[in-house]
Amino acid sequence: MSPIAFQTRLARTEVGKGLRLMWRRRSLVVAAAIVYGLTYLGISLFIGGGHLVEDLMVRTLPPMLAVLVASTAAVEGTAGIAEEINGGTLEQTRLSPASPQLQALGRMTALAIEGLAVAIVVGIVFVFGVGLHINPQPAALIPVVLTVLDALGYGLIMTALVVRVASIGAISHVGTMAIMAFGGTLVPITFFPHGMEVFARFIPTSLGVEAINSTLAGHGLGATWADGTLPWLLVHTAVVLTAGFSLYAINMRHAQREGGLRPR
Amino acid sequence: MAIVERTHVPAIEAIGLEKTYGRGAKAPAAVKPTTLTVPWGQVLGVLGPNGAGKTTIIKMIGGLITPSAGTIRVGGFDVARQRAQAVRQIGAVLEGSRNVYWPLSAWENLMYFGQLKGLRAAEIKPRAQRLLTELGLWERRHETVGSFSRGMQQKVAVSAALITDPPIILLDEPTIGLDVEAARTFKDWIKHLARDEDKTILLTTHQLEGAQELSDRVAVIKEGEIIADLPTAELLARHAENRFEIRIMGSPNGTVLPPGARIEPDGDQTRVLLPPDTDDRAVFVVLGRLGAAGSQLVSVAKARPSLEEVFIRLIHNGPAADRAPAKEVVA
Repeated sequence: MSPIAFQTRLARTEVGKGLRLMWRRRSLVVAAAIVYGLTYLGISLFIGGGHLVEDLMVRTLPPMLAVLVASTAAVEGTAGIAEEINGGTLEQTRLSPASPQLQALGRMTALAIEGLAVAIVVGIVFVFGVGLHINPQPAALIPVVLTVLDALGYGLIMTALVVRVASIGAISHVGTMAIMAFGGTLVPITFFPHGMEVFARFIPTSLGVEAINSTLAGHGLGATWADGTLPWLLVHTAVVLTAGFSLYAINMRHAQREGGLRPR
Repeated sequence: MAIVERTHVPAIEAIGLEKTYGRGAKAPAAVKPTTLTVPWGQVLGVLGPNGAGKTTIIKMIGGLITPSAGTIRVGGFDVARQRAQAVRQIGAVLEGSRNVYWPLSAWENLMYFGQLKGLRAAEIKPRAQRLLTELGLWERRHETVGSFSRGMQQKVAVSAALITDPPIILLDEPTIGLDVEAARTFKDWIKHLARDEDKTILLTTHQLEGAQELSDRVAVIKEGEIIADLPTAELLARHAENRFEIRIMGSPNGTVLPPGARIEPDGDQTRVLLPPDTDDRAVFVVLGRLGAAGSQLVSVAKARPSLEEVFIRLIHNGPAADRAPAKEVVA
């Protein structure tokens, strides 16, 4: 078997385990989806002064769905690793020929599937329940994929910090709230004052959401490329993913040096 | 899976192994420079008090803790440089750890850990079936491990460690938290692995009776340093004393004993250890005195220390107490 096929199989094993573990706690996944859905409904009613403003929701629903993916990656990622450290299974998984990065890839892929599944269900509920008119555009697929990768990169950074930072659970929740506040879930970031708008563009998923909204509004990918959103999104995604994988590898090495993989 | 040929390469070879947590001159050494070789098919019992460095050594061998210095070869593969090949030689049950995923079933765990080492599902299934059947878990293979008793969970952990049929098994306090029956089953299983399947086993435990029964060789660690490393029988023989042990009910009631005799209460009984090289005639004299004092005799025997006694002696006094010029090692 070729090394690539072998590594792919190892990564697939991790994905399979992640999905099985998700299935075992499916009631929590459903509960989280309901809570996020109700939170978004509340935010929308608050912003609309007691009414659901369809034009606004068409632009704030994609960032809400991005929050779901990012939140799943970060919160479930950190909780999952912490649980594995405490349970001792992380050490057992390291008795494998798979590299830490490969295992992280499998882990994040499972979380992406979980996050997307929740986002799709919540999205369908709002599109059909509220009657939002969103025109699916094939061009939106690229920013959607990049946004998911951006969210996973953020989640991976948080996950990588678990072995070094004891309070990472709280930090990842704060991070998710920041994405919700500055990523366009309340109002599109173009409504922010200039300085805050610039800051918001550094927040994971916000550039992706802008590109998604732009393509869903009928502007092609060329327009999002021309206004700089797509190139910056590519850069942001690459940086966040690279940082996530590097940090994960570095922190795993550090944990092996300091005995940090053992149950605490 | 690539398992090495058992040639001249030892199963485990640690040279100049050292581990210090933290930095600076004051950083405590968890493991002082240690050299350890385990031949194929041997059961090595690594004994020591809590914090002596047993777990650190096991985890360094498994590549889970990076040594500060030294090299480790597992099946001839350098753990630092050939990690992928080295870890394939190893199955491990680690201390203070669930080892397997409790939300998953026993079957799912075995499939996962087998595939994680690179095996195909078709290769894993018959072995998983055999392991679960032998350990009495086959009927409950689809139940989540979290719903099992502690003993059954530990059996799943052992099965997961053995799923790839590794030639080397690291067992870090595997019977901790198990009840007497489960611990006995576990000990029998370790014996089976060593005798019938010819596995190389590195075992740490605080149950010294079990260690004496299972280990071909014993290494005693104190404060990160191996202070004794001998075949079990030889270690016991070295510490055997040419002295008599008299057991009586109650206490010796002020009986005059020869200088150098030791009195050790042991439950309702008292153990009177006569000085080394006491001749038979002197033994009869002491017995006569004890009889005159009204002591009820239980037994008279040549003293044979258990591994526990040797261990306690080594830990408290070190090899120096036996006037050993240096630490005891396998010649």
